[in-house]
Order: sequence, then structure tokens, then C-alpha cells
Amino acid sequence: MWLRFTLVFGWAAFAGLAASGDSLVVHGIAGRPGGTLVYAQRNAPKSLNPAIASDSASREVLHRIVADLIHINRATQLTEPALAKSWTVSPDGLHYVLELRRGINFSDGHPFDAGDVVFSFQVYLDPNVHSTQRDLLMLDGKPIAVRKVDSYKVAFDLPKPYAAAERLFDGFAILPRHKLEKPYRDGKLSEAWTMSSPPSEIVGLGPFRLKQFAAGERVVLEHNPYYWKVDESGTQLPYLAEVDFVLAGSEDMQVMRFQSGESDVISRVSAMNFSVLEKDRARRGYTLTDIGPGLESSVLFFNLDGNAPAGAYVRRESFRRAVSLAIDRDALVRLVYQGRAAAMSTPIPPGNRAWIDSKLPPIVRSIPAAKELLRADGFSWTSTGALLDPSGKPVEFSIVTSAGNTERVQMATLIQDDLKALGMNAHVAPLEFASLLNRVFETHNYEACLLSLSEGDADPNTEMAVLLSSSGNHLWHPSQKTPATPWEQEIDRLMEAQITERDRSQRKRLFDRVQEILMDELPLIPLVSPHLLVGARGEIGNFRPAFMDHYALWNIEELYWRNKDR
Amino acid sequence: MKYVAERLLHAVALLVAVSFLSFVLAQIAPGDYYTQLRGDPRILADTAVALRTHSGIDRPLPVRYAAWVGGILRGDFGYSLAYHAPVASILRQRTGNTLLLTGTATVLAWLVAVPLGVWSASRRGKWFDGASSVAVSILLSIPDLVLAIALLWLAVRTGWFPLGGKSSAAQSGWRDIAWHMILPVVVLVAGLAPVLVRHARASMLEVMDAGFALSARAQGIPRRRRFMRHLLPAALNPLVTLFGISLGTLLSESLLVEVVMGWPGLGPLFLEAIMARDFAIVLAVAMVSAGFLVLGNLAADLLLDRMDPRIRSGNA
Amino acid sequence: MSARRRVAIASGFLGLVLLPLPMAPILAPYPYAEQHREHPYEPPATIRLANARPYVETAGHRYPVRLFPGDGRLFGIDPPATIFLLGTDAYGRDVFSRMLYGGRVSLLAGLLAASLSLALGLTAGIAAGYFGGWTDRVLMRGGELVMSLPWLYLLLASRALLPLHIPPLEAILLPAALIGVLGWTRPARLIRGVILSGKERGFVQAARGFGAGHAYLIRRHLLPMTAGVVATQATILIPQYILAEMALSFLGLGVTEPVPSWGNMLTDARQYHALVLHTWLLAPGIAAVPVLLGFLLLAQAWHEKPSN
Repeated sequence: MWLRFTLVFGWAAFAGLAASGDSLVVHGIAGRPGGTLVYAQRNAPKSLNPAIASDSASREVLHRIVADLIHINRATQLTEPALAKSWTVSPDGLHYVLELRRGINFSDGHPFDAGDVVFSFQVYLDPNVHSTQRDLLMLDGKPIAVRKVDSYKVAFDLPKPYAAAERLFDGFAILPRHKLEKPYRDGKLSEAWTMSSPPSEIVGLGPFRLKQFAAGERVVLEHNPYYWKVDESGTQLPYLAEVDFVLAGSEDMQVMRFQSGESDVISRVSAMNFSVLEKDRARRGYTLTDIGPGLESSVLFFNLDGNAPAGAYVRRESFRRAVSLAIDRDALVRLVYQGRAAAMSTPIPPGNRAWIDSKLPPIVRSIPAAKELLRADGFSWTSTGALLDPSGKPVEFSIVTSAGNTERVQMATLIQDDLKALGMNAHVAPLEFASLLNRVFETHNYEACLLSLSEGDADPNTEMAVLLSSSGNHLWHPSQKTPATPWEQEIDRLMEAQITERDRSQRKRLFDRVQEILMDELPLIPLVSPHLLVGARGEIGNFRPAFMDHYALWNIEELYWRNKDR
Repeated sequence: MKYVAERLLHAVALLVAVSFLSFVLAQIAPGDYYTQLRGDPRILADTAVALRTHSGIDRPLPVRYAAWVGGILRGDFGYSLAYHAPVASILRQRTGNTLLLTGTATVLAWLVAVPLGVWSASRRGKWFDGASSVAVSILLSIPDLVLAIALLWLAVRTGWFPLGGKSSAAQSGWRDIAWHMILPVVVLVAGLAPVLVRHARASMLEVMDAGFALSARAQGIPRRRRFMRHLLPAALNPLVTLFGISLGTLLSESLLVEVVMGWPGLGPLFLEAIMARDFAIVLAVAMVSAGFLVLGNLAADLLLDRMDPRIRSGNA
Repeated sequence: MSARRRVAIASGFLGLVLLPLPMAPILAPYPYAEQHREHPYEPPATIRLANARPYVETAGHRYPVRLFPGDGRLFGIDPPATIFLLGTDAYGRDVFSRMLYGGRVSLLAGLLAASLSLALGLTAGIAAGYFGGWTDRVLMRGGELVMSLPWLYLLLASRALLPLHIPPLEAILLPAALIGVLGWTRPARLIRGVILSGKERGFVQAARGFGAGHAYLIRRHLLPMTAGVVATQATILIPQYILAEMALSFLGLGVTEPVPSWGNMLTDARQYHALVLHTWLLAPGIAAVPVLLGFLLLAQAWHEKPSN
């Protein structure tokens, strides 16, 4: 009797201690501890090293075992405190001082302090580490400076003002200095935390920690007993005891596993597979949710580089406008996405409600209007209906797209058929993905391309890479030394202005103007934005899918099993 | 012995040729491992360039090849750019998984096919022969892929079989693994067995009609002894070559099945590495497969030599 | 049943199965590229009979199936009714028509690829088996080399070198040529095995003793011995071609849209949702079975002719 009391008291005290310090109290959730969640991944995770893991499968697992300083709440899209419990900004917007939580420990019990934060950013910024996240910390080519103020305060000095700078911190995992400093000094950081490292070596501040893995099969995470979040009743999060990431290998296999009950959550289902799952829903007892248009969009663009193989007519704005008017976006939504997509009226996806320019009118398909545009600009037709450009050359080009993505190939095929009505002879050339990227971004040897763009965050700053004419990622004409056209110059000016503009409504005005120019000149012809489709077992509580990464597991620490036998 | 030594020398030469030509082929394929970074617009173009220099993949071909050979001689089989780890550790478990699958399927296929083919031949023209012939032909006509997907669909509908993977929980017994192996093995056997049945039957028939067989019959040798002592060994000749080829392709023939049915072997790893241009893994898998191929063919030739003394005297 | 009878029956079966294919322009009610965007993924049409005349019911009206509607086709139906015998695909294209046109493409290309592989394989196998020595070594090691290389790289490179738009005829011949050229190693090995033991047979030695030259020996005695292997391998190579074509279309080297082939139709059908919700898309895969079966039976019957 005494023994039992001591044990219970001791456990409560320990639990209390483990979760003591500056714990974050999460309101509005209430769940039961215990149970295992199984999630089937499309691809195999390659690495658990936060500095260098860049593929989505690795990040799916990684972000469950690490934590950041300031986190974007996927449901509200607003920033909230994470490892940093509060922060101050200097009046000029150049200096951020973050106050860290005290008394927090890593998943192996080692205490966390400012030294870990400074170390982490040192790693991310070090050019010799080649972290793919380094570019996010460079403004105008100059790095953000990080310095320790005291054991629980870190200062970040920006080289120039940056709108919504606190959103930058989301996704930068805090690394354990006590584990990684030595490999870092030895220059071997990129070889740390691979898929064969012993689990005890991989230490983080996330809700889970690595338990074990089997190559090519599964990665098992367990509840982190040192996690720093609790719910209102003081129960330490996460509720789940274990998370099992199994490798399905492809989207179809993912769907099959979910349908048969072998996995519990599925995210980013394609519209066709969603229909399959819906038919079986009553029998299997899972919930399916259509969240609506997300942050993904498909665009058609032409190679506007003067040296490109594409005919000179692609640089005529009338040509691009005519193509846009000829495309049957309703057919794309209906046939390719079973209605689960939204036709776009600007290259910014409709899911980005905060920043989309809603004044822009929807694009109404009109073959006569398209023909008129072409006629007015000097195009003509042969007797058989083939379109000739003003110099008399027939209009013929190939649209490259990714062979592995059925939806994009289908859209290209439908567009090919649509453009026949204008007399354009378009061909569909599906290519394997790396070959496609090589052609479009490295050799620039293409005429037209159909791609999907996926925004990581709703903020316009994420568009800089694509919209700035000097950028290597300026899709239709990368790495310009000076802007090739007046409108690209204007977009450059507007984007530079919005990045330092701290007044949100002024930023919106600037970005709206950018969208208007994009729709006048149409370097990117917007097509459709697919809905985000997810599914979960009915017994999972607090399931709140969102349309930012990670769509279904972003609040994994809040998920729990409603019924007892899990 | 001299023959074996000579063949092993050829094997080394082959591996050298495979490795060098693989380097050449990888060079001419468009894009490299860091091309995929261009798919993420948040990563600057210069980062890919810097990474190329850092990992050394922009060095000229002869330099890279020499570095690789140097590594091999030190026991270092290369470094995977995707996994940031040495290739050997990644390959080890996956190779074992593939061999488990194909080994089991090959043994089962031979155990089923050879007796079936031989018995069909001995019952030529009768009911059994016709029926098995039709069954075999139908199996041969169904593409592997269609069968694999049909079985997966069956698994989803009935829940009788797991959908991919090698085991259910992290540690599990051989029973669990066997349960996971059922579907892929069925597909593999369905692909291997029909061909074997036909070859076995065809060669048995040829032997049965040969001069020495008829003369043995005329001499009154009982059926059983005729069969086991005279006909069967002769009939097994072409099958031996086939067996060697089977051994040789143990690693490569399950690639499609592993990918489609989710078995964690070399197949999915190899395919992903080729698409991602993770050359170290591609080369290592190609070398290991080539090694198996050479050994399998060598074994086949040695067996052929053994079994048919006429060849031995004909060959130097 | 005599062997000749068996060959006749097998040929008849194969002929019957293959007959629709060259008649595609007559038998197919729709052109293969015609999209019907209002009817995506439609299930096969239900045809009913009234007074022994077939009709289709659409929107409350009965539309009779017309014979010889006048554009060279065997049958058709008046709009707005549709007669999709095997349903439609994602773009509303008639699967039955595409299957007929696609069958022509796949079979011709498959036969081409198989012939190429067998021709190369026979040459290599006979040369290696008969002449032995260096010829044998070079050819067999060469074969092993070919089987070991990661050819996908070469395929990707060739796609990069080719123009983005490959004209339809080349797009059909190219995968056949590629697969044919790469597929000679296994037949070569098997044929070599047969020749090796064949050339030591009594009557071959005797012919040699009588002064017969190489060409005569090969043509008269050794070549017929390979018939069994050739026949079996031929029948395996055609389904392998269809599968290989599916892989090639993933690399952009297969037969491109909108031209159908059984390979690229099966690529679409292979997806899970197609299997479960739109099973009629698997028609080419199912149609392949009697076709391949026909080839198999014919090869088997023909091979058994001499030995009775």
C-alpha cells in the first residue's frame, strides 16, 4: 500500500519535473495518453540530419523529433511561441531578441540553453556545411547574425528590415550542442544522424524521439518523456506513445494501406484515389476531409529567353493571352481532379486567402476573343486552319511535363486539344523528372512547360525566388543580368519594396500590383489549384488537417486515440 | 581448374568494364543528383553548384573513376549522396531481403515446374498434358504486372494478406515474414514456372524421341530405369543452362515485383537511385548484380561440362 | 490429332484473334484521339435488343445501333447517344477503338522487337556455340556486360538527345528497336547451350567427317535444333515488349499521346483507382491474353511437327 503510494507519488513528481520548467500550455485540447499511430510514407526517408535533409519524406519524420524557436500554427497561419517563449523587436526592425524557455531538456535529458541555439544557427549558416536551408537566412547575400545575450536570451541581427521576419524561424530545428559540436568541429556534420546511426545519438526537442528503424521498411518513434508542452489539465504531451512511419513506396500503395486499415492517417491524396476511398468509407470507418484549395498550383509557361528554341512568337503577349483564353479550365477541374480543384485567376493559389488579389476577374474561356487577339497582332490562318505567326511560320511547339505525374500529363493532353481550336499544333512531351528539371533549369532547352508550384508558406516573400528576374529560379527566363523587359523590372521593384515594408496593408497593395502585372503579361499562365485531401481513422481525436506542411501531422502531439483498445 | 581460373579472370575484367561503362553512361544521362534541388524554388541556383563542387561530382570522369577504384581497393564502396552514408551499409540488408525473396521463389518454381514438365512429357497427348499445357500458356500470356496488381487488389478487399513490407512490427518471427512474402513469391513463381515447365517438357520430349531412347526401349529396359538412368539426365542438359541463368539473375528479376508490391529489397532502392541520379548506389547494385550473373553463368557452364562429357572432349 | 491439324487449328485461332486489328479503321466506331469531355470514365454501354435489333437508351430515347453509317465504319450510333463498347478513359476517348488501333501498334512493334532479339540471339548463340574459342568468350562476356549495365541511363540520355517531339512512326519504332537490340542475351545463351551439345551429336560428327562445310552443318543440322528454344523465347518476348514499353513511356520514350498502344493504355490502367473504379481500362491487358495464347499455341504446335 505504501509502496504503491510512493510509486504513484514518485511517478507524478517525476512527470511533473520532466514537464516542469517553462512548459507551453496548449489550450482547447483534451486527450488520453497511449496508443500507436501508423503513417505510410510515399518515399523512403534518407537522413535525419536537420541541416542537410531536404527531401519531404525525411522531413516528415524529422519534424516530429525536433522543435523550432517560433512556430507557425498551421490552423491559424499565425506565428506563436515555441522554444522561444517571447521576443522583442527593435523599432527599426533589424534586431530580434528571443527569450528562451527555461528548465527544458533534450530527449536524452541534457538541458537546453542559448548555447544550443547559437550553435544551431552557426551550423545552418556555415557555407562548408552546405545546408539547403542556408539560403533562407541570407538577405541580399548577407547572413543574419546570431549572438548569445545570456543563457536564455539570443539576439538576431538582420542586415536589412524584413517583413514578417519571425516567420523565418519556423522549420529551423534546434540542434543539441552536446551531441553535434564534436562532429561539426571535425568537419563531419553532414555524416551525422544518418539512417544507420544508433537511435541514442539522435537527440531533439520534438514531441517524439527515435526508437528504432528497419532499412527500407519503417521508422519507429516513441513519446519523448522530456517534451515541453502540456495540456490544460497538466498532462504532458504528446498523447501518443508511438508513431510508426512505414514505407508504402508509392501513392497507390499508401492508399491501399490506408483503405485496408494498415495505416491510420493519409495526406495529400489525389482526387481519383479520394473517390476510391469514399466508396469504401462506410465499411471501413475512416473520415475523409476535403480542406479546399491549398497552396499548390499548376502553371503553363513558355521559354521567354531570347536564345531559346521557342519561336519568337512566344514573346508576344497576345500569344500568351490567347493561349490562356483558349484553355478549358473547367475541363481540367472536372476531368483531372473530379471537381476537387479551383480554376485560378492569378498565379497565386486561391488557398492563399490572405494575399490573393481578389479584385482580379476569373478567366473566362473564349475562342473568338483569343482569335481576335491573335488576328490583331498579325497572326493568320492557313486554309486548313493551322495558325501562322506574323512572319508566316506555323505555330508548333512541345509542352514538357513530368511523366511520373498523371495529373500534369492529363492537363497537358487536354490543353493540347484545346489549342487545336486556335490552329496551334502543340505536342505533349512527358519526361522523367530529373531530365525535365535539367532541361528547364539547367540547359533551358524547352519551348513550353507545365509544372506545379507549391508554396511553403503563404507569405509573398516565398515568391521572391520565382519573381525576381535575377534569380536562377525565375522560371521563364532565369538569371537575367538586367531585367529583359520593363514589366519584369517593375515586378523587381515592387517585390524589393514589399520585402522591407512592415505595414501589412501597404505590402498587400504592392503585391496586388505584382499580381496585376503577372496577369497582364502572363509569363506564368495559371491553370488550377488542387484541393487538399486527407483522411484519418474515425477514432483519432484532435485531427485538424491544414494546408501547410505537414498537412495532417503538424499537430501530432495533440492527436490521441478516442477508444481504449489502441 | 585452369578453366575456372581463366573464367574468374574474365569475371574481374567484366566488373572493370561494367564499372567504367556505368560511369560513362551516368555522365551522358541528363542531370545529376543536385538537379533535383532546382525543383524547390527556395533553394538558390548557386547552392546546387556549390554542392557539386563539394561532393566532387563535377570533376572530370577519369579523375572520378580513379578515385572510385582507389576506394574499392580500400574496401570503400562509395558514398550515397541521398543517404549521406557509405553504400555498403545501405546495400547489405536490402540485398539480403531480395535474395530471400528470389531464392525462395526460384526454389519453389523449379520444384513445381520440372516435375510438371517432365510428367507432362511422359503423358504426352493425354488429358494431363493438354490441360497443363493450356494452364501454362495462359499463365505465360498474363503480364506479371497485371497479376501483381490483381493480387494487391485482392489483398485490400479481403484483408487476407499484408500490403507490402517484410514484417508487421519491428521485431517479428519468421512466420510473419513468410506471410508478407506470399504475394510477391506467387507473382515471381507465376512468372518463372511456366517457362521452366515448357523447357522441361520440350527437352524431355526430344530425349524421348532420340535414337538411344528408342533402342533402350527396344532392348526391354524397364520404364522406370529407362526414365531415371537414360532419359532424365539427357533431358536436364538445357535445363542446366537455364538454372545457371536463374542463379545469375537472382538479384535482377525481382526488381519490378519488389517495386510494385512494396518488398524492401534492392529493386525500389535501385530504381529510386537511378531516378535521383544517386550514382554510388546505382553502381554498387550494378556491380553486385554483375557479380551474381558471372558466378551464375560460370556455375551453369561448369555443370554443363560435367554433365555432358561430349562437350568436354570438344572444348580445350 | 495429327500435328498438321494442330497447327491448322492454332493458326486459325490466332488468325481469328488477330483479325480485328488490321481492320481497326472499319471496326472502330470512333477515331482514337477523339475526346468526349462530357463522358469521362464512362462504363461500357448497355446494349439492349428490341425485335432482335440492338439499341442504346439515352435520356429516355432509344437510339438504334446503325450498321455501315457511311463513313467507312462497320457500326455507329447517332449523337447524342454513344456506343462505347468498352467504356471511356479519362478524356472520354473510346477504349474499344483505342484497343483496336493500339493492338496494331503493340503487336507490330512487339514482333519487330522479338524478331530483332531473336535474330541477334541466334547469330550470337550459333557463332559462340559452334566456333567456340575466342568467339565464344567474346560473345558470352559481351552478353554478360550488356545484361549488367544500367541501361536506364542510356535511355535517359537518348531521350535528351532526341528532339522533344518525335513523329508518330519513329515513336513506335524506337522503343521496339531499343528493346530488340537489348534483348538478345538470354536467347543467345540458351541457343549456345543447344548448339554446344548439338554439334557433338553422332550424325553431326558424321556429316563433318564427310566434308560438310560450316554453313551446311549450321543450316541443315544445327539450326533446326534451336527451333524449340526460339519458339518458346519468341512467345515470351512479346509480352515482355509490352511491359518494357510501359517502362519506356515513363521515360518519355514510348509511344506518345494521343497514339494508343497497349503499353501506354495499361500504364493508365495500372493505377489503383483505375483498377477499382474503372476496371474496363484493363481491356488491353485482358485482350493480350488470347493474343499471346494464340502465339503460344501456334509455336507449340509448329514445334511438335517433326517429332511425332
